[in-house]
Amino acid sequence: MALFFCGVLVGCGSTNDPRPDKWSFISPIIIQPSCATANCHSQLAERSGVMLDTVADGYQQLTQRHFVMPGDPDNSALMALLRGEGSRRMPPDFPLPEADITLIGSWIADGANWDGPGSEPGPLPTPDGGTP
Amino acid sequence: MRVRAALWVALGAGLVALCFGAGRAEAYPQFQFSSGTQRCAQCHYAPAGFGLLTSWGRDEGADTISRGGNGALLHGAWTPPDWLALGGDFRVAGIDNDAGSSGPPELAVFPMQADLAGRIGFGNTGLSLYVEGGLRGTTRPGNDSHAAQFESLMSREHYVMWKPSATGAYVRAGRFYAPYGLRMVEHIYYVRSVTGFNLYEETYNVSGGYLDEDWELHVTAFTPPPNSLPLALRSTAKGSGGAIYGERRFASMASLALQARVAKSTDQTLYQGGVVGKLWLDSAKILFMGEFDLQRRATNGGNGATQFVSYFGPTFFPVKGVMWSFALERYQEDLRVSGTAHSAVDVQINYFPWAHCEVVLLGRYQMNGTGLADGPADSLAMLQLHYYL
Repeated sequence: MALFFCGVLVGCGSTNDPRPDKWSFISPIIIQPSCATANCHSQLAERSGVMLDTVADGYQQLTQRHFVMPGDPDNSALMALLRGEGSRRMPPDFPLPEADITLIGSWIADGANWDGPGSEPGPLPTPDGGTP
Repeated sequence: MRVRAALWVALGAGLVALCFGAGRAEAYPQFQFSSGTQRCAQCHYAPAGFGLLTSWGRDEGADTISRGGNGALLHGAWTPPDWLALGGDFRVAGIDNDAGSSGPPELAVFPMQADLAGRIGFGNTGLSLYVEGGLRGTTRPGNDSHAAQFESLMSREHYVMWKPSATGAYVRAGRFYAPYGLRMVEHIYYVRSVTGFNLYEETYNVSGGYLDEDWELHVTAFTPPPNSLPLALRSTAKGSGGAIYGERRFASMASLALQARVAKSTDQTLYQGGVVGKLWLDSAKILFMGEFDLQRRATNGGNGATQFVSYFGPTFFPVKGVMWSFALERYQEDLRVSGTAHSAVDVQINYFPWAHCEVVLLGRYQMNGTGLADGPADSLAMLQLHYYL
């Protein structure tokens, strides 16, 4: 019963945000469930050519296609998309809470560093399928 | 405004065209107990529901659920042999979605589903082959136009099954959703969208279980299709693992189920556990239905989040052929942070004017955190027309 009232009616947790502003956390917890869906940025649809299915793919696409400007969240297109500023809000049917957008902004402000498993993903393939 | 009006007029005209000459609809978890049927597998060939209807299910669709008609294939114009079952689902929808962008709300009319399904039974062996596939519709095409389209071929389900009788043991292998949770038709509900059962998130499984009059148990091992497969066979599923779902029914009016699932992918391990319950009040024609899940997403970076996912609400059956559902939903992405909660209020009206034919009206209001300070609200209105072959 406590679970019901806590989870359904009033919500849980505090207003402080102890979550790490790391891509290895942001991608699987926030981005993949919200954005890498069948009609959007999964490998099934690759809407706008963007695929966010894994930690590595998401980092590669967002940083190398300049949706993220390391150290500069205010000029990062990703932030404008998440807030629906001048464009359709992303995700269009599942808007992210401000706490999540702030966490992503903090990761970008810290330099949008790679902290996933292994080495940083290499360059994206060129349009003809080769490497640059 | 003119575009919006034209959109709804077009959908209304489509509705009229679709419903004249049509006849039956598909199944919902709301029909358990309310239709006088205890088990999903009474109406569906699949042991835990979803997909092609049995002849019993087709009769129920005409006699109990809709306002009349002939529920059989092609309205009874042709009866396939006993070893063959055929069917299909066709859906078109229009949405008016306002996610709080600086621009106007999103309006779209799109083909949702065009699938054909077939099942071949092999004599008295209990063996069968099931294949369902068709065209994948999309809400938002790549060019961002309003003219949404079918995008590619997809096979949602294909499996072989050994199920020698209506009750008892069964084994199934192939592609389908592992039995878990409320198995809502609409994938936008949190108990589907964030638990590993979103649209085209089917996995390849080996599943087995036991069906009894008052209880059932399903155990599944699953893995996502590799990306090397053709697009028609891929999915958005992440992670390999196992799932278990056990349901106990009481006095043909209530059920309580326990469930657990683990899925390990390259980026995270998802641990899930939950409770599913239903209570049917026959005198009031109300079914209460709920699902409550706790899940832990443990990232490979050593961090993680404990999450809560729920659906709770009543469904009324005021007259034959009409179903009104109200629901409160909650998805809290991280229980440590109150601002990460997603809450939704849903109103869904399903109208079954004739067997094979369904009209769905859905209104949804989503809110983040504890109010607008935690992010924008999202409102969605959807009109969906569904024809079942």
